[in-house]
Amino acid sequence: MPAEKRVRGAAGGIKCVLAGDEVLKLVEYLFGPDARSVVESLGTVLVCSGEFSEVYLVSNLMADAIATLFKRGYVPYSAGLYAGRLRRLRPKFIPSVSLLQVIYDSVGPRRAIGVSEEGLKPFLYGNDILRKSVTKCYEPVSKGEVIGILGSDGYVYGVGLSNVDSCSKLSKLGDLDEVAKNVFDIGWYLRGGTEPRERKYKVE
Amino acid sequence: MVRYELVGDLRSYLRSRIYGAVDDWVRSTALRFGYRDYMIARYLEALGSREEVLNLLKAFEEPLKPSIRCNTLKVRSCGLLAERLGELGYVLKGISWEPTSFTIEVLGKPPPGATHEFLLGMYYLYRGAASLIPPLVLLPKPSDVVLDMAAAPGGKTTHMAQLMRNEGLIVAVDISKARMRALRSNLERLGVRNVLALRLDGARVPELFGPYFSKVLLDAPCTAEGLVQVDKSRKTRTALDDLFAARERQVRLLLAAVDSVVSGGYVLYATCSIAPEEDELVISEVLKLRDDISVVPLPDIVDFRSGLTEYFGIKLPDELRLCGRLYPHIHCMEGFFLCLLRKE
Repeated sequence: MPAEKRVRGAAGGIKCVLAGDEVLKLVEYLFGPDARSVVESLGTVLVCSGEFSEVYLVSNLMADAIATLFKRGYVPYSAGLYAGRLRRLRPKFIPSVSLLQVIYDSVGPRRAIGVSEEGLKPFLYGNDILRKSVTKCYEPVSKGEVIGILGSDGYVYGVGLSNVDSCSKLSKLGDLDEVAKNVFDIGWYLRGGTEPRERKYKVE
Repeated sequence: MVRYELVGDLRSYLRSRIYGAVDDWVRSTALRFGYRDYMIARYLEALGSREEVLNLLKAFEEPLKPSIRCNTLKVRSCGLLAERLGELGYVLKGISWEPTSFTIEVLGKPPPGATHEFLLGMYYLYRGAASLIPPLVLLPKPSDVVLDMAAAPGGKTTHMAQLMRNEGLIVAVDISKARMRALRSNLERLGVRNVLALRLDGARVPELFGPYFSKVLLDAPCTAEGLVQVDKSRKTRTALDDLFAARERQVRLLLAAVDSVVSGGYVLYATCSIAPEEDELVISEVLKLRDDISVVPLPDIVDFRSGLTEYFGIKLPDELRLCGRLYPHIHCMEGFFLCLLRKE
């Protein structure tokens, strides 16, 4: 089988590659084959690695422009839909709020919890989600894996790390038990979105 | 009256003419409103009457109403957004010429940059409504390839993405590291997918892409002399030499914009400044240097005041009347300048 030809670029300590097998496999593992199809339909996967490995989904037109940049010795600051971050350790992929919203709008919520208005307020200040705030739960859910945080309006308010293995375990928790650790919430756009004082994702 | 092309040393010529126009009325008016003398002398030259200068200066003392653009990339019904904000105590008024946008007549709580709706990317918040106009003038289509040359923090970039329904391509360029963070944050928050963001001096874009873009927006870095309503330091911050330094940078960027656009494509030059040095005198210089561009009429979005064709005894190209000026005392928004160019 011939090796896949990959378009690569590097500048300023950032290396980028237009190839996304690993990302697509992770999306399928987390959200199912239909979610993978949704992501594939959004375009080509671009992975740029420096301090972090960031994932973007870009159209064919944008991929051509990026290939031109690579030839000139440049890499983009950001491109297309920001899809999330790749990690070496579990969770290996932290999907962005934008990607989760696209997946949930297309194939319905999964790996997610619905959270009350009272629970969203502290979450948007960086706090975790407690049992008493959870109004709905969407399987599959795995302990230590990512989980989408949904408001009652259907919008994604952030991403957490699940503290439970299945939705059925929720009934065994007390009101103040932690269901999801805050990894990213949209309050970041106010707190740190324009300044480097917060490391965006709260996992090492 | 001397033709622009025949003025040798523009800086010296204008310095002499502007300071020569500072009389007792100019000095006392500058003192009364807290401006540098030379600024008032220029307003009198550009507006033509003391009465109108006073109207402008009084308008600059009034607070500017913030505006929001409902982000249809995320919101299906802008009416529903208005209802959600209404529940927070906001009173919004629709903007007649931009159907997805509103001025905030009464502020609710929390502030407009801290509501859940803002964080969810349901709207973009503007200091004033004039920033909504450049994307409507350029009016990019989903099939366009657009260059936004000084893009951060992204109000116009995200507006163009909305007009393009997240299709086509926008290459958004800015040189500032801090402002790029703001741009990226806004792109992500608003769910924009068709923007390729580059941290780069906009003047270097032609080296990378050549003539590649069907439309170019150059919302040029400027002294922001049209934003006195939101920043009173603008009354005194800019010396005449600073204006000419800004003009040199603007000419360099506009030449790069012209180099970046394909034949038959459009370049929109805009500033949030009412200083002719950063506006008509930039266009005049580029028209002098290039014979492949011409000024074309602006679409009938608002009743623009015509661009200046005379300034302190200099006869500027006639086609500059097709450029547009926005003044707070006439248009009830921040001061702005727009000029649409077409490449032959």
